[in-house]
Amino acid sequence: MLERPLPRWLAWAADPEQLRRAPFLARSPLFTGLPHRLLARLATRFFEKAYRRGEVVFEEGDPGRALFVVVEGSVEITRATVQGAYVLNTLGPGDAFGELALVDDFPRSATARVATPGRLLILYKSDFDTLMDGNPRIAVVVMRNLSRLLAIYARRNPVLVTEPGPRPETAGPS
Amino acid sequence: MKPGRLLAWGGLAALVWLARGLALPVFLAAVLAYLLSPAVAWADALAIRRSVAVSALFAVIIAVLVVAGFLLGPGMLAEGAALMDRLPALARQIDVGLDAAVRELAESAPALRRLLPEGGDWVQRFVLNRSAGEPGDLFEHMGHLFLLTILVPFFAFFLLRDMHRLIAVAMDRLPPQHVETSVAVWRELNGVIGRYTRGLVLDGLVVGALAALGLWAARVPYPLLLGAFAGLANVVPFVGPLLSAAAAGLVVVLTPGQGLAGVGRVVLLFLVIKVLDDTIIQPFTIGRSVHLHPALLLGSVVVGSHALGVLGMIIAVPVATVLQETARLLLEHRRVLARRDLRHHPERLVI
Repeated sequence: MLERPLPRWLAWAADPEQLRRAPFLARSPLFTGLPHRLLARLATRFFEKAYRRGEVVFEEGDPGRALFVVVEGSVEITRATVQGAYVLNTLGPGDAFGELALVDDFPRSATARVATPGRLLILYKSDFDTLMDGNPRIAVVVMRNLSRLLAIYARRNPVLVTEPGPRPETAGPS
Repeated sequence: MKPGRLLAWGGLAALVWLARGLALPVFLAAVLAYLLSPAVAWADALAIRRSVAVSALFAVIIAVLVVAGFLLGPGMLAEGAALMDRLPALARQIDVGLDAAVRELAESAPALRRLLPEGGDWVQRFVLNRSAGEPGDLFEHMGHLFLLTILVPFFAFFLLRDMHRLIAVAMDRLPPQHVETSVAVWRELNGVIGRYTRGLVLDGLVVGALAALGLWAARVPYPLLLGAFAGLANVVPFVGPLLSAAAAGLVVVLTPGQGLAGVGRVVLLFLVIKVLDDTIIQPFTIGRSVHLHPALLLGSVVVGSHALGVLGMIIAVPVATVLQETARLLLEHRRVLARRDLRHHPERLVI
């Protein structure tokens, strides 16, 4: 994806996959505000994988090494309690999860399970770090978006912050 | 295992065995693909189709090679021809020196006489009679070289064009619970090998250019050939710089009028290049791609040379780094899973 798209006479040389991926990422709350040039570079670092219904993307306690973005289908974020697992959030196309893996090295704080079959984009933490090293703008924009998401989450769930417990209607990062 | 699957695996193993002759071209093609992959990644970010980007890249490389051939080719060919003309005289000179040294050694230590090689003219026999006596060998070598120059770019082209498709197919077949660790291992390996390969080639180019310039300034004959050899030999850790210094030293010794002062200049030149390489060039080229303890680094080179000779010495460092990185990721994965398991099943805690 170019800041200026390829001229029409060069349209035959354009890669439809990349043309689709960068604008798609631009709509994701985590990457919103990134210029197209950086989004295009970011888009090349993602892997894509198809998931079937019920497949576990990661489990609570797993080492977190990647960020996921839903392309198609939906993913349920659940957390285990003594009363049983409860759904924190259901994510659809454009939503990102597992973003805390980009920030720290702690294990996953929730489980992600595919609710309806679809495809996920996967960004490995070190790839993101390499991009940030070369482009501090990516770090600033993504961290600002992440802080905003965490702030929304904290405001919505003041009880959860101090007193964990099942809150089926709540949403949050994993 | 089902008979069909067993048959398929057996067939695959037989195919790999039959195609073992392609191992070297595929290896060299992978090296070339790693060298060129940043340019392809740049084209990816511009949303240019892989086939178009890789074709354009190869067209540019061919153009650069043609220009470089026009600029450097005549000089290198002239040096090569001059060296071939002088080769019989050089071989004779080396043999005379070797014979004298062996005789002197035998006289000063008679006990060693039975350990010393018999006869003489070793270099003449090895260098001069070989190709003349076995023309079939020469044609076979030329044939292999020709095949490599065709196959390596051919495989590299398809590796660069289709690798992302192969990865996509592999990703879709991976069990979900192994995705994160597999992606982590693949990315780390890819990063280490890519950075190391590109760094090594860049390092070799800089060292070769410095050696050629230095030898030319020191009026040593064949500076282009010796510089090219220094650049190539530089990819072999520890031994490479010694070999290139020895080759240049030998040329100086056999050149009338250079004398010991010439040898001193060559030794000093290669020492300065080595220090510059270790302190300034390598940190910029290879940089942080290798995190091996010096003892492990040396050990890996020794093991590599025993296993695969010169090729083993070249690939020893990235292979050891890759193994270390993979082991670190897998152990970390296992440790975290064990901790989680313990949290879910505290009764399993054994003190």
